[in-house]
Amino acid sequence: MDIDNNIDFKDLWKKQSVSQPDIQDLLARLNKFKKAAMRSLWITNMLLFATSAFIIFIWIYYQPQFVSTKIGIVFTILAMVIYLFVYNKLLAKYKNIEAAQSNQEYLQNLILIKKKQQFLQTKMMSFYFIVLTVGICLYMYEYASRMTFLGAGLTYGITLLWMAFNWFYIRPKQIKKQQEKINVLIEKFEEVNNQLEL
Amino acid sequence: MEFEEIYKTYWDRIFRLCMGFVNDYDAAQDLAQETFIIVWQKLETFRNESSIGTWIFRIASNNCLRQIEKQKRFPKSELPVHLSEEKQTSLEPQIQFLYKCIAELPETDRIIISLELEDIKQIEIAKIVGLSEANVRVKIHRIKEKLTQKFKENGHR
Repeated sequence: MDIDNNIDFKDLWKKQSVSQPDIQDLLARLNKFKKAAMRSLWITNMLLFATSAFIIFIWIYYQPQFVSTKIGIVFTILAMVIYLFVYNKLLAKYKNIEAAQSNQEYLQNLILIKKKQQFLQTKMMSFYFIVLTVGICLYMYEYASRMTFLGAGLTYGITLLWMAFNWFYIRPKQIKKQQEKINVLIEKFEEVNNQLEL
Repeated sequence: MEFEEIYKTYWDRIFRLCMGFVNDYDAAQDLAQETFIIVWQKLETFRNESSIGTWIFRIASNNCLRQIEKQKRFPKSELPVHLSEEKQTSLEPQIQFLYKCIAELPETDRIIISLELEDIKQIEIAKIVGLSEANVRVKIHRIKEKLTQKFKENGHR
């Protein structure tokens, strides 16, 4: 009985029609894939470079007198650099996950990476916001100090209001959105991983 | 082994594995292509610790597992793949039913049964999936029972 079914399934299985695409198709796709990877790397780096160049331009062009301004500039750049750096590193890790391990190891690695991503996204996002806020406040100090009291109050007030809006509204929303997506994935991967237990 | 040779030798088997996983011709074609892209990228890192078959099937099955993530935005084939024309039309309903049943199994079971039907030794399956050989044997037995059951319910012999 069992043997009978066995043969039956194997036979059916192999009768599935298969058409092997021309290897040129595959090579074309490979090229496209490589180009896309290069492009995304370029875009990230260009963005980072452009922002830094802009801030350095301000530094040189306006010649800030206060050390607080300079620290502010450094903080702002640092926040962006660190954020992008960590994010890229995680992405690279994810892309380069060892593809030829056993399914079980692979699943466990996927879960691990996703959990790391979950942690990073909350912590990094908060870190980014704090450093950016501090950086901007320091940066503005020199210019605000030349304004009238009202002007300075208004400038700081609006900036801080904007930051508060980001902190209390945009940030939690962003984190929630990302978390939901990741949580669903982690759950699913864990479920699949549990299938491997008898 | 040269890449082209690997491609020619393994395409059909990898395609069927992917087909068993998703039961969608275009998606399986995409998954198989992705597998070979990874194979192409990693070929130089392949050391003869395991057989090349085990190595390739590991990559293919991992890639299938990973597509769980993309499931919602399911990839449609971007390339005009040069399919031979008889695509799917000649498929016997029984074959379709088998693939449908397999694609409805839990993910890891799909992989295990596909490898078994592909005539891969159980000890190799154990290495690919990361289970003991005994576990694999039990699982295969249960999956086959399940499939037989489904075939009976459906009135296929």
